[in-house]
Amino acid sequence: MRGLLFAFLAGAFITLQGVANTRISADIGTWPAAAVTQFTGFVAALLIWVFVRDGGLRDLRQVRPLYISGGALAAIIIFTNVTAIQQVGVTLTISAVLIAQLCMTFLIDSLGWFGVPKQKMRLPQFIGIGLMIAGVVILKF
Amino acid sequence: MLFGILFALTAGALVGMQNVFNTKVNEQTGNWTTTTLVLGLGFAASFGIGLIVEGKGMFTSLPGMQTWFWFSGLIGVGVVTCMVQGVKLLGPTYAVAIVMTSELGFALLFDSLGWLGLQKVPFTLHQLIGVLVIVGGIFVFKLGGGRESEKENSVRKREALN
Repeated sequence: MRGLLFAFLAGAFITLQGVANTRISADIGTWPAAAVTQFTGFVAALLIWVFVRDGGLRDLRQVRPLYISGGALAAIIIFTNVTAIQQVGVTLTISAVLIAQLCMTFLIDSLGWFGVPKQKMRLPQFIGIGLMIAGVVILKF
Repeated sequence: MLFGILFALTAGALVGMQNVFNTKVNEQTGNWTTTTLVLGLGFAASFGIGLIVEGKGMFTSLPGMQTWFWFSGLIGVGVVTCMVQGVKLLGPTYAVAIVMTSELGFALLFDSLGWLGLQKVPFTLHQLIGVLVIVGGIFVFKLGGGRESEKENSVRKREALN
């Protein structure tokens, strides 16, 4: 039950984050909005890190630089997400984001990219993505 | 409209990719070390691109902005906390399916309320059915089985973020 509540809240926060970023962008522009919100998030995470100290620079030296640089992708993610919400609204944006996200996972898993253990995709995954696309079509037309 | 959807698809593809990279980092270190690194780099990249694109515009709007803008970034910390707990308690597959469902439910809610300056999109049966079909798709994808090597730890860990 508590697990359900946490998962539910996580989803609420993810959507709220997109909407809040869009609202802030309307006032100060998208890049400043992305910078300000992530700055605050960074400072908060850093404070939590100081207390929990669940790792450090020594761990990070063992990670390939490509994987470390993943954090920088957030800049483009926020920009494209906000622009999409401005143009087509929240529901359609989140729907398309989730479809592309699962397709990307699907692709990386099937090809075993980035040292991910190769997984065969079967019928349910294809049907799932098909249903999601059908849902977007219903949503819009 | 096409451009809006293209932007959203770009965002989603990058989220999928970032989740893989973040998981790789997370395999070597803790959740908060990973989160701090990811948000720090996200800030640096946004600030850097912003400086190139907008120049001084990056600073001029800051002094007059509403106070809550400064705190909005804390939502991201809430996302990580809830996500970690949800995955711990439900396992990655169910947790992610529920997170995605919740995302869509709240999207519908925000659109129909026109909150935070959003353009109000009136709630229709059409939309509800569309969202329910998408949710059906998510559950078939996640719970339909058939994906091999599900039990491997690295896969489980990554599923947690997808």
